[in-house]
Order: sequence, then structure tokens, then C-alpha cells
Amino acid sequence: MTAVENRSAVRFGHTELPTEQQAALRKAVTFEWLTIGFLAVSTVLVFAVLGNSQAMKAAWIEDVLSFLPPVSFLLAARVIRKRPTEEHPYGFHRAVGIAHVVAAVALTVMGAYLIVDSAMGLLTAEHPTIGGFNFFGQTIWLGWLMIAAMILTAGPPIYLGHVKMKLAEKLHDKVLYADADMNKADWMTAAAAAVGVAGIGLGWWWADYAAALIISGSILHDGIRNTRAAISALMDKRARTYDDAEPHPVGRQLDEYLQGLDWVDTAQSRIRDEGHVFHVESFIVPAGPMPRVEQLEAARKACIALDWKVQDMVLVPVAELPSEYLPGPTSGGER
Amino acid sequence: MSHQRRAAVLLLSALLLAGCGTSFPSDPTGTLEKVKEGTLRVGASENGDWVDLPDGPGGDVEGTEAELVRRFAASLGAKVEWVPGTEHVLAEELKHGGLDVVIGGLDDKTPWATHAGLTLPYTESRDSRGSLHKHVMLVPLGENAFLLELDKFLAETAGAK
Repeated sequence: MTAVENRSAVRFGHTELPTEQQAALRKAVTFEWLTIGFLAVSTVLVFAVLGNSQAMKAAWIEDVLSFLPPVSFLLAARVIRKRPTEEHPYGFHRAVGIAHVVAAVALTVMGAYLIVDSAMGLLTAEHPTIGGFNFFGQTIWLGWLMIAAMILTAGPPIYLGHVKMKLAEKLHDKVLYADADMNKADWMTAAAAAVGVAGIGLGWWWADYAAALIISGSILHDGIRNTRAAISALMDKRARTYDDAEPHPVGRQLDEYLQGLDWVDTAQSRIRDEGHVFHVESFIVPAGPMPRVEQLEAARKACIALDWKVQDMVLVPVAELPSEYLPGPTSGGER
Repeated sequence: MSHQRRAAVLLLSALLLAGCGTSFPSDPTGTLEKVKEGTLRVGASENGDWVDLPDGPGGDVEGTEAELVRRFAASLGAKVEWVPGTEHVLAEELKHGGLDVVIGGLDDKTPWATHAGLTLPYTESRDSRGSLHKHVMLVPLGENAFLLELDKFLAETAGAK
């Protein structure tokens, strides 16, 4: 690889991204900017018709909090391109994890606050007051505008979330995944708020608080789920797929490849997820004498070729697999 | 998912259809219905040209806001029952359902927003220090049909800003 190629290539740390991931990253950046643009319009629109509805307030706060994941993603996408330095030998991949924790804690705190606030409204039976609104010289009920704003802002996030979900899988990006997941569920917030306001119109003052409780419950749920995922990632949990559904298959692939080499008796790896890329330590028990440096080097290169996320890899020849580093059932699992 | 969505759409259209009736929004405790052809209970707090209470018994409440309220009551075929008092006493009374409107040259920065709903600002004034005041009246919390009726009346009569 020449120096010229180096300069034009898109990297995460010292990992050069394959063409497919480079395209996915560019698209993800575009879509996160689109998301921010949409949110800017929608927060202003919803704020203009906020009134005294608790459900609208909850929906608006959720809108404001929705800025955090795309902003985190865009900031992290810059930071993690930096190459490892003497002071940061593992690179800057953890920036993603830190952004994720901050966004998740903000969601949790606001969700909890809104639940208490809405429950207080329900208990003190403070009837939400929504009066007229001067709409181009006509005095109309503000509630209609609230419902219209909710219907207008319900659609776009479904599409944005759908696109970003696919990109999150390609990039193995959990912040993008969390963002897409929240976007996809966003229409329910809008529907709940619209129904709450319509309830006020029918004289059911409690409908507003009920809708607000549903919305704040979903914010808190998102917050707790994301906090848990982000913290366990920072605690070097075993690498899992982008949606945390199952252990990442690359662990099994690596072990199977290494175990299949004729000079290897057995092998097992432990993998930590740095955000996009993996750090891999593979322990190898040689079948016969100590392998030659060329054999080790060839094996490492073959492993790296398996998946773009595997780049930072060490091979450790050992007399027997160290169970203290590889807890759990042996073979096939990356621990 | 599509099942949920269909349910949400159905519920929303049901609510919107209900809104085509005459009383949307409607009042949880029916203030507008009670006032129509009945009595409008007005709390009046003395304040400059806005509300001028009579010095002795038997006099009429004067002032621009008193006049507006009289015309509003007339538009609903209601007679006015005046309740003079301080803002504090009137706001408490309004909160507990003893009044329908409170006037007193109040502006949209009134501290009684926790006790009462505010109309849209219907006019503006400047005080001697040059600060702008957007004037409102107080109504019971959550009586949205009544509030909308008063908002519409004020917009047509006083020219809402």
C-alpha cells in the first residue's frame, strides 16, 4: 500500500475500511445530518404549539433528546479516525462507547423525570388548559395544531430509522443501531401525544397525562436498555452482533480457522468490541514443536482477512489454554 | 406492528370524528353550558382603567375589561354576577370552581398561571417604565370550550395581538 492510497482511504484508527463499509459510513453521515435537519424543524414546530399539554411536553423533550445519538455518532465518526498514538496505543475507538453512555444516561434521567412529573399531574388532577391560537387571523383551537404537528412529524423518522438500521449492521455501530431503533419507534410517541390531545378535546383531561406516561415510559425504557448496553460494552463484554442479539460469529470463525491449521493442536480467542473494530487475543497450543515466525505471521494475516473488523490481533503460543483468561465452556466460544 | 398502527389510526379517526360534533373541545366540568342563558360569575380586581370598582354599594363596575366581559356575557345570553376582591382571593376562588372569569388588568406574566388558564393576549399596553404588557383574563383550568369561546370573542372584539 502506497502513501498516496493511505491518504485517500477512510480509516477507523489504523483499520482501513473495505469499499462497502466506506460507502455505508458516508451514507450514515448523510442520514445523521438529515436526521438532525429533521429534528431541528420538528422541535421548532412542536415547541410553537406546545401549550399546556403534558403529552406534548414529553414528546417535545423526546425530540430534543433525539439530537444526542446523531450528534454522538457524527462526533465519534471523526474522533475514531485518528490513528493510535504513543499515549493512546489502542486508538480512539472507545469514543463511540463514551458517547453512547452519555446519550443513554440523558435518556434515563429525562424519562424518570417525566414519569414523576406526569404522575404528579394525574394525582393533583390539574386539568390541562388549551385555548385558542391566532392562526392567520382566525382563532382556532390550539389542540388541532398540536395534533397536526404530531401527524406531520410521525412519518419521516420511520424512514430514517429503517435506512440507518441497515447501515448500523454494515458498520457494526451500536450508537447508530440505538438511534435507528429509537427513530423506528418514534411514530408511537407522536400517535400517543395526538390521542392525548384529542382526549383533552373530548373533555377527558386525564387522557393527556396517560399519553405522557406512555411516552415517558418509552423514553425511560430506551434509556435503561441503552445504558445497560453501553456500560457492558465499556466493561469489555464479549463481542456481540450489532443488535446484541447473539455472540458475534467472527469469534467462532477465527477459532475454527486456527484449530484447522496442521501445526495447531487447539486454539481459542477472546475478543473485545472497541466500538467498530475488535481487539483479538488468540491463544494457540502448537501440535508439535514451537511454530516458526512465518507460520504465525501467515495465520495472523489469514485471520485478519476473515473480517474487516479484525485488525488488531495478537497470537499467543501457549503450552495449554489458560482457563483464567478463557472462562466458560471450551472451544467455539470467544470469551 | 401494522396491527398496532391500524389500531392507532382507528382510534385517532374515531376521536377526530367525535370532534366534528358541536362541543369540541369540550369542558370537563361544563362551564360553557352552565354560563349560556345563565350567569357569568366574574371576579373583578381593581386596577386603573381596566377595572374600576364602585366606591359604594349599588354602583356599577366600570373599566375596559368590565365592559368587554359585559358584552361577552350578553353574547352568551348570560347575566353577570360581579365578585370584587383581591387577585389572590379571586384566583383561589377560580381554582376551586367558584368563578368563571377573573379580570384585573392582568398580563401574560401573571403568577396565577398555576391556578387558572390564561386567555390569548388580546391587547398590549406600556407602563410608565416602558415595559410591554400583554393583557389576558383568567379562566378555570381545563375548561377549554369556555376558554376558546372567550378567546374568539376577544379576538373579534378587541383585535387579538
